[in-house]
Amino acid sequence: MHEVGIISSMLKTLERVKVEEELTHIDKIVVEVGELSGVVPHYMEQCFPAAVYKTPFEDLKMELELAPGTIQCLACGKLFPFHGIQWKCPDCESEKLKPVEGTGLLIKEIHGK
Amino acid sequence: MDQVKVIKIKESVFADNDVQADRLRQELKKENTFLLNLMSSPGSGKTTTLLRTVEKLKDRLKIGIMEADIDSAVDAEIMAKKGVKTIQLHTGGMCHLDAGMTEQGLKELETGDLDLAILENVGNLVCPAEFDTGAVKNVMILSVPEGHDKPLKYPLIFQVCDVLLVNKIDVLDYFDFDMAKLKEYAWMRNPELKIFPISARTGEGIEAWTAWLYEAVLEWNRK
Repeated sequence: MHEVGIISSMLKTLERVKVEEELTHIDKIVVEVGELSGVVPHYMEQCFPAAVYKTPFEDLKMELELAPGTIQCLACGKLFPFHGIQWKCPDCESEKLKPVEGTGLLIKEIHGK
Repeated sequence: MDQVKVIKIKESVFADNDVQADRLRQELKKENTFLLNLMSSPGSGKTTTLLRTVEKLKDRLKIGIMEADIDSAVDAEIMAKKGVKTIQLHTGGMCHLDAGMTEQGLKELETGDLDLAILENVGNLVCPAEFDTGAVKNVMILSVPEGHDKPLKYPLIFQVCDVLLVNKIDVLDYFDFDMAKLKEYAWMRNPELKIFPISARTGEGIEAWTAWLYEAVLEWNRK
């Protein structure tokens, strides 16, 4: 559900870019999904056909690229990669953490003609 | 055949919604209407909190309410009985409202003469946090039975909100809810967050919350 809303929002951006770049057709988009963006790439792919159904982008292809998440511990300053649901600093076990990388959800490339 | 053009834009998926939300905020500013976006999980007491809030402020402010739900009009009927201008928005299965849907709702509500428009967003702690609705302030409710660990599990909503109402404090004794921990976790996510413990049922804490809201509305409409 969350992912459908996100794709619909993305289609609005595509419509704008299509006009700005004077494209007649958009074939493919490359989307960068941050590991800490709150979006599940698998669900994004699953609901994609439903989200583009009966829109001008029905035959659009979407390629996802995963951007790794990095977390910083606010207690000891350590930077470490995000490991699933573990929300603790591996060094000092503090729970005061801040996501520093991989929080974004970006349209990276638009392939069209 | 035409050459395929690759445009590298690196633009946030939410970019267009954010632009629309900013435009909506500017329009509301011009007509002196303050839009409040109220978010929470289902069953946290949004409608009861709104009833209390409206009771306190309706003599001083002209208020309108938009109730957003996937279906039904039960919330709108409750609010309308209190004599407040209310409309029901059906999201048709969508789990949140974006700036476009909010704008349509505001048109229907006819905000021209309103000081305060309140959007009761769909009960959900995930999706509504992603979409800027054009609101001046975002407020969320977390109720005691939901537990004090929610800022760890749903960080984004705590980051985007200006105010956290901790509702149902009249049942604190019956739950393992640690208010100090909740504040610590919430401020970890957002050091600027204002926290008001309330009970929409007994009315406890409503005075402090509505005083904050009243001031915020005056400030927005004065500038």
